[in-house]
Amino acid sequence: MKKTTCGGLLLLFVGMLLLMSQPISAGVSDEVCAGCHDDVTEMFSNTAHGIYFSSIDRLKDANCEACHGSAVDHIKDGDPALIINPANSGQFGAKELCLTCHKSHKFDNWKFSAHASADLTCADCHSVHTSIENPTVKSSSENCLKCHADVRASLSMPSHHPIGEGKLECVDCHGVHGEPARLTMDYSGSELCYSCHAEKEGPFVYEHAPVQEGCLTCHSPHGTVADNLLKQSEPTLCLSCHPMHFHSSVVGVDGAFVDPLAPERSGTSTSDSFERGFNTKCTQCHTEIHGSDMPSQTTSTGGNALTR
Amino acid sequence: MKLLIKFVFVLVVLLLANSFVLADDGPTTESYSFWLGGHYTDFTDYSKKVGEYNKGENETLPEFKLNYLSSGPNSILRFLGHYYDNKNAYAKLSSTISNKYKLSVQYRSLLKQEGQDLLTNMEGREYFPETGTQGGKILTHEIQDPNADYNTYRQELLSQFSILLSEKNNVRLNATHRMILKTGTEQKISSDHCFSCHLTSMEGKVNNTQHQFEVGIDADINKFDIGYQFGYRLYDPKNQASMAYYDDAVHPTKGTAGGEFGSRLIYEDVDAEFSVVPKTEKMSHKVKFKRNFGQGYLAGVLGYASVENKFTSLKSNSYSSAFNYATFLDSKTKLIAKVAVSKYDSDSIYIDLPTFREGAADGNSYNFDFTRYSALNRTNANMSAELIKRMNSNLTVAGLVGYNIVNRDDYPIHDDGTSTKKFYAQGKFRYRKNLSLRSSLKVRFEKITDPFISAKGIFEANGTALRPLVPTSNWVFYFQREGLRYQNITTMPTQVFSFNWNMSYNPNMKFSTTFGVKGNFDKNDDLDSLDVKHTSFIPSVSLQYTPDNLFSIQAGYSYNYDKSRLPVTVALMDG
Repeated sequence: MKKTTCGGLLLLFVGMLLLMSQPISAGVSDEVCAGCHDDVTEMFSNTAHGIYFSSIDRLKDANCEACHGSAVDHIKDGDPALIINPANSGQFGAKELCLTCHKSHKFDNWKFSAHASADLTCADCHSVHTSIENPTVKSSSENCLKCHADVRASLSMPSHHPIGEGKLECVDCHGVHGEPARLTMDYSGSELCYSCHAEKEGPFVYEHAPVQEGCLTCHSPHGTVADNLLKQSEPTLCLSCHPMHFHSSVVGVDGAFVDPLAPERSGTSTSDSFERGFNTKCTQCHTEIHGSDMPSQTTSTGGNALTR
Repeated sequence: MKLLIKFVFVLVVLLLANSFVLADDGPTTESYSFWLGGHYTDFTDYSKKVGEYNKGENETLPEFKLNYLSSGPNSILRFLGHYYDNKNAYAKLSSTISNKYKLSVQYRSLLKQEGQDLLTNMEGREYFPETGTQGGKILTHEIQDPNADYNTYRQELLSQFSILLSEKNNVRLNATHRMILKTGTEQKISSDHCFSCHLTSMEGKVNNTQHQFEVGIDADINKFDIGYQFGYRLYDPKNQASMAYYDDAVHPTKGTAGGEFGSRLIYEDVDAEFSVVPKTEKMSHKVKFKRNFGQGYLAGVLGYASVENKFTSLKSNSYSSAFNYATFLDSKTKLIAKVAVSKYDSDSIYIDLPTFREGAADGNSYNFDFTRYSALNRTNANMSAELIKRMNSNLTVAGLVGYNIVNRDDYPIHDDGTSTKKFYAQGKFRYRKNLSLRSSLKVRFEKITDPFISAKGIFEANGTALRPLVPTSNWVFYFQREGLRYQNITTMPTQVFSFNWNMSYNPNMKFSTTFGVKGNFDKNDDLDSLDVKHTSFIPSVSLQYTPDNLFSIQAGYSYNYDKSRLPVTVALMDG
């Protein structure tokens, strides 16, 4: 009896060792999986994983169980909970399953990322079973906007960065895998903006203080109703920090006029012409609103009117 | 087009190099797809401009996509390309060889329509009630090409290369080159400000090139990940300078008293450049490290960057440091703490100006020379800590607190800047039940003291009496009205409350629906005059139905409500 027990334990131990030295697969063939999941198995050979596996000797025989673990219990019972599903963050080990093979430094901080904290899994953004014709990221920005609906609303505004047009991607500005993006040079975010809009960085002789304060003082990067991604239309945005131009209270004549010193400069005036002229769009004259090295004309402003 | 040719050249070189390196790579698997299509837009009775980035062409245009993948035992080569039209294209070639070499080159282009402001509001002449005649100041404009179709064409070429120098310590050398080329035309407006206020609109040629190089090395040594990165950026606007004539300074209607009016101007009767964008050069050094501790890590970065305006030789320097510590306190709780400090130091410059009414017999002269100290000079510090706890397999709760301080050295006054302090706290609740239901709620509160101001930007209270420049004189000059603007103004909030709730329901793998609402309420009631309030409210709903891999329907609706209440100050005309 004692010998039998010892022999049994020895067999169990050897069996466990053998099991541990095997790949994750417990031996259920893809044909069995195809019995229910034929749409997935048929396409697999044409997926990025399928093509890659077929090229590597040691992965040639990898099957569904390479990622999904043993399918034995699942096949017996049919219960989806009895097989590893990388899309299910509630399942033990599923969330970080992909990282066992994808060991790039890029994913080092994934566990502490905002997306991981939000219980997202790789499969929330990446299509593992899609054919090679399609990228593994589900249409990139469109995928981000599925959850970030407020950003989608902003990107539909008349002025926006061209995400919807497919000219830029969310990941051009945002790190999504927990990259320590805040470990950049600048907290205001302006450093990021200057990487494309370098002409705004200066340093200039004549500054506009909100530019140094940060681009987001005046701009909303995803999209706005006002032109140029401004938080509000001109002149309201400008008038919320500056008084109305003093010339805007000048009363105009009614009718056609000619400039006596330059007859080719003529036009039609009404009593509110100056109000309309100076209270419509400040950047018609103050064109160099982000800063300039050229002095404006008036001595009393110190050349600091950003008009040249 | 120049950049596209470069891209094709780099592409061919990479493909040749790749095929050479992989000659002995063994059997490869290849897969490709080609998509041919077209697009057509009808603009009968509509403007050709349909948006900033979509240009309407009233004709049928071909469009194609190419997707190629080659995979061998030790290599992957991938190409993605999409040709929309000759101004909008995308292509990317990437290759990985035995995890040792990684290289990619990406090209993308877009056309941005700039539009034209016809300046029709800039027209008027001052009325003199006492004479009943046409009076003084005149506001006019001139459009040199009213039918101009201003647009800029942006092309970007990004090349990245990395090589694993040593497997032992995972020593990897990275190099990146990014080139942005912007060409086209844009509207340039000069404003002349003498006997009449006259705006002239003309075409400005755009021809800007930006080169960015980054070279870095990373290694894992004794549980430390360390790295160094050098960056260089050259922004080179080769634009032809826009020129304008600035009028002779004379009385607006009589054409007399040139000297008196001339003394109000820094320059007059001259052809001069305007809208000049300087060439700039930027260099940066960054040292980073990361040390893993059991279930967490400590990471940090130290950086220095310097940017120089090559036109004026002005320089700005920044020094930064940041540290992140993240760890699991137990199997269900993680802590993320961050600290960052950065300092900015930008050159000051002395502005030498002509003396106003120099040598005037009545003694009323004034020197406006000043030293411009940069508003950029400041120290920023930020610290935050976040605790995230998984309560059970469905519910996660997170709490974050943080403090941010901005110490401005020279804004608004040299050596007497302002300090803005912000305390913030945030809570998050996330619920996820298997794959079918997930919901999250985030609430955030911020308390800010002394937010950024427009210094002396408002006539907020009763003015003080204006004093003549010379006590014996009765003259009070127009620029002295500035002395009445002695109150600071801001539209920045002192309190912010925001929330974001959303819920997704996926009854099966084919159907999903998401509801959400985001709100932001901020205010500043510390002002003497008027309270500032901003309110935004964004509810949204979206549906997605994907019956199979070939068919998908999506529908969504978002509503964005924004309301702001801000102070606006009226004009004050004294002369």
